[in-house]
Amino acid sequence: MSTGEQTLTVPAGAKTRPRKAATRRQKQERLVAVGFLAPFMLLLLIFQYVPLLVMARNSFYDYSLLNPAAEKFVGLRNFADMIEYDDARRSFGITFLFAFGVVVFVIPIAFALALFLDSKLPARGLVRTMIMLPVVTSSVVIATMWSFLLDPSNGLINGALDIVGIARQPFLTSTQQALPSLIAMTLWQQVGFGAILFLAGLQGVPSELGEAARIDGATRWQVLWNITIPLLSRTTLFVVVIMTVFSLQAFAPAFLMTQGGPQEATNLIVYHIYNTAFIMQQAGYASALSVVLLLVVLAISMVQMALLRSRWNY
Amino acid sequence: MKIYSIVFASLLGATALGATGANAQSTPACTGETVTLRILRTPGNYPYPKPMEAWQKDNPCVKFEVNEVPFPQLADTISVQAASSNPPDIIVYDGPNTQSYAAAGILLPITKYLPKGWDDDILPATKAEHSYNGEVYSPGIEQTTVAMYYNKKLVEAAGVKPPQTLAEAWTWPQALEAFKKCQQGPAGAATVWGLGPTRFGNGQPGLVYQDLIYQRSAGDPKVAPTSSAYKTFWAFAPDGKTAEGYLNTPEAVEALKFYQSMFNAEGVAPKVGIPNAFFDAKACFYIDTPAAGNALIKDPKIEWGITPLPYFKTPVVHTGSTTFGATARSKHPEIAAKFVVDMSWGEYAYMNVSQRGNLPTLKSLFSRFDVYNKYPMKVFVDQLQSWGQPRPPGPKFAQYDKIVSEALRGVAFGGNPAELMADAEKKVQRILDR
Repeated sequence: MSTGEQTLTVPAGAKTRPRKAATRRQKQERLVAVGFLAPFMLLLLIFQYVPLLVMARNSFYDYSLLNPAAEKFVGLRNFADMIEYDDARRSFGITFLFAFGVVVFVIPIAFALALFLDSKLPARGLVRTMIMLPVVTSSVVIATMWSFLLDPSNGLINGALDIVGIARQPFLTSTQQALPSLIAMTLWQQVGFGAILFLAGLQGVPSELGEAARIDGATRWQVLWNITIPLLSRTTLFVVVIMTVFSLQAFAPAFLMTQGGPQEATNLIVYHIYNTAFIMQQAGYASALSVVLLLVVLAISMVQMALLRSRWNY
Repeated sequence: MKIYSIVFASLLGATALGATGANAQSTPACTGETVTLRILRTPGNYPYPKPMEAWQKDNPCVKFEVNEVPFPQLADTISVQAASSNPPDIIVYDGPNTQSYAAAGILLPITKYLPKGWDDDILPATKAEHSYNGEVYSPGIEQTTVAMYYNKKLVEAAGVKPPQTLAEAWTWPQALEAFKKCQQGPAGAATVWGLGPTRFGNGQPGLVYQDLIYQRSAGDPKVAPTSSAYKTFWAFAPDGKTAEGYLNTPEAVEALKFYQSMFNAEGVAPKVGIPNAFFDAKACFYIDTPAAGNALIKDPKIEWGITPLPYFKTPVVHTGSTTFGATARSKHPEIAAKFVVDMSWGEYAYMNVSQRGNLPTLKSLFSRFDVYNKYPMKVFVDQLQSWGQPRPPGPKFAQYDKIVSEALRGVAFGGNPAELMADAEKKVQRILDR
């Protein structure tokens, strides 16, 4: 049978739509789009995806940064070590606790602030500036400032506690208080960002729905609970995912304020990876930890998206 | 027209002056191929410009390209640059890392470049720290150790008389009594602390350089090598193969309980840094290197003295400073090695050491530094020669340093000394087993 005799069978009733050839203008537009996208895609490829592949490959090797040429293939040993030793388990556990603490507090406080900013109450401009300042301030500056505030001997917070008769607290040097202190600092820094996102969501909710409900006799609380919050589920999902990812990637507080201590109580996973690669000189193991972190972040984000999927549209 | 004439005359004058300066600083012309040595160092560290310029007069074909990074980022930068395709020719680094860098093939052995008489002139602790597998990798320029400074006015007001010689040195319990007498304000929240915080790192306690001395001094190097007292003193197996049984010993735990009490029950030392606490008269006593004394000699903000570092059973102080070496993958290894060795020998070494005022590594230079021949700075020389020990050397020192520092910090913050030291031993072993 010659190729010329081959025919396509088309189901009865189906209409074939011959693809239109792209016009000259469409071709030009595509070319322009590719031109605009190319530099960013190239950078993304070189600085994101290629290093990711290299990292995945390095996770099967044992080597030090001082002498990478002496690397040796160790198969899954780096991953087995994560199970055999408790450093990875502890660090991931602390990081999850940190992320959970941040998200649990950021969401309601940011939402409450957004409601305030969306209202007609006074001092909204001042509050907006106050909550946005930490967001745009460098993490290094914030960590240094909070280190001074939380100083056990001469810190402002302990000074205030002293005045009201409460004993001075070892905020950053106690295994019980160090992580909550970092959560409090991160909450203070990130809540403004969450509030602005919620505010954008609130301003997108059609006012007619609330007005109609009010005419039907619903209270303000019922409108908030039954209309506003459900309709904001997409925004809530976005804030939850963003805050979780931010928290899982936190590095500056552990690096600058506690150096992962005391007794590894604040040894957040990204700081642990840095430490493993640059101080402990176990770059292969650090790569394996990074691979696991990447998968964990992906998995958590997917679970959050599935659980918080929006059921309402407007 | 008049203005133009003045401007023109000024420019002409400036050019003439510049030309005069250039002639005055001229060096012999290079007749061969020019070589550029790339140096990675920390700001304010050697090799200093004056000896470098003097050396260039004898080596006119050599130019320098100096890159500087702050000390806290130095080890990370070396990790990255040493593996690059174009590593620096000379690196300044923290001395105890010599064996790590030698084992990783970063440093060039310089034994064959060392001048005659170097072996007899070098301090034994420096040679031990800078050698690996029978080869010397860095000649060293400076040597430091720590002693305890005190604020004369504050201690006299408290009726405390710190000893000034090694023979009369305090034990730690005696020192604690002095801290308590001198401290002002409540324990743990003093206005004037008994013992001020370190200026190293972020000011928190726990650094091996300064705080491993407590437990090491509770050991004894003269008893049987199998005894816990012997192991306590060395804090690491002499063959560098294990730390198990060397950190978590009964003697070490006792010493660490005392160490912990200073930050907690006794409350004579702060848990976090207070910048310039000693220099601002907010601390009676303070542990630091000769650098602090030299700064106070130049700018005597307070009346001060030095007392030898206290101990439990065996007096001991850690030695070590930043040092430098030629890199094994340098494109000009011969010239880099020659420069490194020259800078640390004879007049060049004197020029380098006198710039910052730390102790020299060559015994022959001690007599040329008047300041070290009399009290108070003589305490450093005496300590160095009688009590000096390098930090536990080995190719995994950087990891040991980090793990043990974290354990010591945990103790200072109130953790269980035995548990933390047992954990540190396990972590060090994991690194050594890799």
